[in-house]
Amino acid sequence: MKTKASWLKRWWRPLLAYVILIIPSLVIAVGYVWLLITSFSTRTEGLRSLGWTLQNWRFLWESPFGPRVPSIWQVTLNTLIMSLIMTLIVVGVSSLAGYALARMKFPGRKGFLSLTLILHAFPSVTLLIPIYFVLLWIQKIPLIGSGIPLIGGFGYNTIGGVALVMMAFQLPFGIWVMKGFFDNISWDMERSALIDGASRFKVWWQIVMPNIKPGIAALSIFSFLTAWNAYLIPLTFTSGRAGRFSVLSLYVQNFISESVMTEWNAVAAVGLFQLIPVVLFFLFTQEALLNIYSGGRKGGV
Amino acid sequence: MEIRLEKLCKYFGKVKAVDKLDLEIKDREFVALLGPSGCGKTTTLLMIAGIYRPTSGYIRFDGQVVNHLLPKERNIGMVFQSYALYPHMTVFDNIAYPLRLKRTPKRVMRERVQRVADMMGIGDLLDRRPAQLSGGQQQRVAVARALVKEPAILLFDEPLSNLDAKLRLRMRGEIKRLQEDLGITSVYVTHDQVEAMTMASRIAVMNKGLLQAYGTPEQLYERPDTLFVAGFIGAPPMNFIQVTFTKKDDGYFLEKGSFSLRLPEEKGRLAEENQAPPQVIMGIRPEDVRVVPEGGDLRAEVYVIEPLGREDLVTFRFDDEEIRALVPAPFRGRSGDVWGLELNREKLHLFHPETQCSLLRRE
Repeated sequence: MKTKASWLKRWWRPLLAYVILIIPSLVIAVGYVWLLITSFSTRTEGLRSLGWTLQNWRFLWESPFGPRVPSIWQVTLNTLIMSLIMTLIVVGVSSLAGYALARMKFPGRKGFLSLTLILHAFPSVTLLIPIYFVLLWIQKIPLIGSGIPLIGGFGYNTIGGVALVMMAFQLPFGIWVMKGFFDNISWDMERSALIDGASRFKVWWQIVMPNIKPGIAALSIFSFLTAWNAYLIPLTFTSGRAGRFSVLSLYVQNFISESVMTEWNAVAAVGLFQLIPVVLFFLFTQEALLNIYSGGRKGGV
Repeated sequence: MEIRLEKLCKYFGKVKAVDKLDLEIKDREFVALLGPSGCGKTTTLLMIAGIYRPTSGYIRFDGQVVNHLLPKERNIGMVFQSYALYPHMTVFDNIAYPLRLKRTPKRVMRERVQRVADMMGIGDLLDRRPAQLSGGQQQRVAVARALVKEPAILLFDEPLSNLDAKLRLRMRGEIKRLQEDLGITSVYVTHDQVEAMTMASRIAVMNKGLLQAYGTPEQLYERPDTLFVAGFIGAPPMNFIQVTFTKKDDGYFLEKGSFSLRLPEEKGRLAEENQAPPQVIMGIRPEDVRVVPEGGDLRAEVYVIEPLGREDLVTFRFDDEEIRALVPAPFRGRSGDVWGLELNREKLHLFHPETQCSLLRRE
């Protein structure tokens, strides 16, 4: 009796924590399992499959919508390029701007900081129409507008254009996160490097940047995933699901139409396909991702 | 390299961190900047290093104004309190960093890093990372990095404060010896007066951005010019007692209640020449107070006894004043006992209560 009581005493807290965590996790987990089963089934009844098939995955090796719609691989490549461009620019600009905001004195610094915070909180949907006109305008610029191979350009209906818009929305967040990481680097280390003979730029590149690798990693992953999963912006600024510059989140739409019955099993398969890199990312980088909130101190003007 | 600071000022907004500082540091000299935290000593150091730009005034190295020079153009080595090692580099890369920036050939670089590392006793740690070293070892790496480029000036910013007491004592001796051997002009910032006294050939005492005194440790200890210096230098600190200064037919006297002490003729005259007011502050160091069972200059009650090992620090009370005495251990009194105190007249200090200047200084 005594041992049982002490066992309970020691374990009731972690037990309670597990119970509380398992219940909501279960809901999500069931959703994923359902998705997985659905994608390999002809039909399902709840979690029960009414016949197994690979037909839903045929989009991987044939073009189910004819030659006019780009293949899944073209779309994946588009998504990848768009995500990479956005990540590179966000990390690059945030590192430079974050450093300047954390370390340098210049007029308007505080104003700039508050402005980025406001922009971060700004509902991006309200900007869609003005941005549409901006992109149309960019498109008219020769070469840059729509004449670059692979990414199309930076105008309307190009990968570069979508990346540009995504990047603009992501930058305020990125700058604040990076500033937080720079704030944590000791001044003495920078001073020491200056005295050792480094220029300010070398201090940034050789001394400070290597010491905020966790921050760079976290922001890269975060930006990449944001771009990879983006729906609204690609939808608005490309010609849509069947266009040359379609991305994964739009590709799903091909299976949903008004005239034909929606192939939910195929939708599940495409969804899973889009999910694979995300899951892999999370598995390998969750530690770095957590860093964005714990390691990097946000705030502090 | 000789360093000269002329009317050096540094303001942060309205705060005067350093105000009209004049200081001259001779070639090969070891000078300590001593003062409580926030007194402007580190700011001064960072101005010499070129990290801070002076608001006004001049910094001269060997007569040349260097105000506009970048840190890397000043040929200085600096050791920080936090060591400021680069965590992502090995010890070798840390020490080699200044040489690498100067594009020193690899072979020369390896030789020089090894030599300076051996000198600091860390020659076998070169492939470790800073995080794998103890505090003392990190400190040595920091010194080695400062020395490797053979600087004309060495700057130390409280380099020993993060070490434990025993190691601090040891590094104190080592840094002093190193400076003597290498003969590099050094400026050493500290708030620890023992460090300043033991290491420096001259000490600049600073308070609230102002230079309070500049002299050899002995000068500052024996003949402090201001109340602040007298109180800051020496441990345990000097006793201060407000007394009345009077001139009578048979000499000069200090009085307070039942206490009356005849000043040595010379001191009395000096104080008079320096226009001593009727009320002055008398200062006496605890080691200059002798405790006697009978008689003495004044009778006081034992308040608390603090054994320090070799000596006991005894706090006495009389007339609402406290006076501390260093007594050879063991002191055979108890709290509440009344003893006599004899003050060493030759070691008495007198200060003006308003200007806080010494009344015993000679013009």
